[in-house]
Amino acid sequence: MSNMTFAKKTDVIIVLIILVISGISWWGYQHFSAEKQVKAEIYYYSDLVMTVDLQEKEERSFALPQDEHVVFHLYKDGSIAFEASDCPDQVCVHAGRIRTSGQFAACLPKGFVLKIVPAGEHDEDDTDIVVGR
Amino acid sequence: MIKKLSVVILALILALNGASCASQPENKRYEAEFLSLFDTVTRIVGYAESKEKFTEQAQLLHDSLEEYHRLYDIYTDYEGISNIKTINEQAGIAPVKVDRRIIDLLIFAKEAYKTTNGQLNVAMGSVLKIWHDYREAGIDAPENAKLPSLDQLTAAAAHTDIDKVIIDEENSTVYLEDPQMSLDVGGIAKGYATEQVAEIAEKNGITSVLISVGGNVRAIGKRGDGTAWKVGVQNPIDEQGENVCDVPLTDASLVTSGTYERYYVVDGQKYHHIIDPDTLFPANYFVSVTILCKDSGMADALAKIFNMPYEEGLTLIESLPDTEALWVFQDGTLKYSSGFPIE
Repeated sequence: MSNMTFAKKTDVIIVLIILVISGISWWGYQHFSAEKQVKAEIYYYSDLVMTVDLQEKEERSFALPQDEHVVFHLYKDGSIAFEASDCPDQVCVHAGRIRTSGQFAACLPKGFVLKIVPAGEHDEDDTDIVVGR
Repeated sequence: MIKKLSVVILALILALNGASCASQPENKRYEAEFLSLFDTVTRIVGYAESKEKFTEQAQLLHDSLEEYHRLYDIYTDYEGISNIKTINEQAGIAPVKVDRRIIDLLIFAKEAYKTTNGQLNVAMGSVLKIWHDYREAGIDAPENAKLPSLDQLTAAAAHTDIDKVIIDEENSTVYLEDPQMSLDVGGIAKGYATEQVAEIAEKNGITSVLISVGGNVRAIGKRGDGTAWKVGVQNPIDEQGENVCDVPLTDASLVTSGTYERYYVVDGQKYHHIIDPDTLFPANYFVSVTILCKDSGMADALAKIFNMPYEEGLTLIESLPDTEALWVFQDGTLKYSSGFPIE
């Protein structure tokens, strides 16, 4: 009995390795899923005409050659909006700022759709569609 | 020692790969948008084995929605089609022979009128047209934006009796008895059409699609990976555009009505497009109301609790099976019915 040990040295090392790998995996999951990256896509009559990096951290307004009367605005906080349009109903401008996956705004009379999509593959945690604006 | 370590590492790698494979969707995810239907954006998200297969599915949904769009249009004529506009033009003159899908919509609308205690009234065209014209003029020339007078609205409201919409199922005709009345199905047509098209899709073997017609969302099945669809409800008064909540959706509908997009400004005050049939003015209890239930048409109709005080709306919602609601108040307060699923 006196020769029995609770665990061999090699077993302890194996358990420690498992714990370290698990810890790294958990940290990686938390880190990368918590900072899920998104981007904005701008479509003109179903054609993707621009992809906007929402992590620029610089505020700017811009228009596209397809219609320079439709102006977009990128904000420092990573949101984006239709800033101005010469469309009759102004629904696009009223839609305000969007920033999370699944959100979108559109200027029907001018043929523009602005939508937020994951920067990488769509996964289980991403919202599919957002309503309410 | 090395042998044991190898076994453990191999086991870990297999476990990680296994987890990765388990979450891998069988089909790929695709999205499509259409701008030509119901004067709004139609979005389709689906899982299919190939892009061609998804395109085929999206085309079926588009074509079916387009048929409903033409039938329920109140502004445009289409060759060979008698639509809601045709019925309005024949008010007080003669019954109009129409497609069965118009008959079904109007029967559904009459039922919804009762369910919503008159808040959804498709016979309110005369009143809604006045607001529509004032809103368009106010957006075109904001400096001259005006409100319609109560006298003008009250006079129009005398021609909104839904019992004067005469439906003859046998002969497939609709007749507006009052020559000054008109139909406006904008409060129900998108939701009703979305439901019908979802059922057509299911009959055609489509099993994993999310359809949104201007905020009327209908889920068919689940995502390709077997998880529920996730639909976000945006906070209309949050300038940064945050969502109020995400709602898991499987074979169900979610519809939001709000004041945020279609409005005009008179003397610094916003006047939106949802008109209370009792006051004949836009209701101001909430900035948005969201309904969750199985049927998209019913969800659209029930969204008219927007015009009711919260307690009255809550009583109605709680009296209906498998129906939930979310209210966003003017000051940002959120209230939910008892079973609303919040994520």
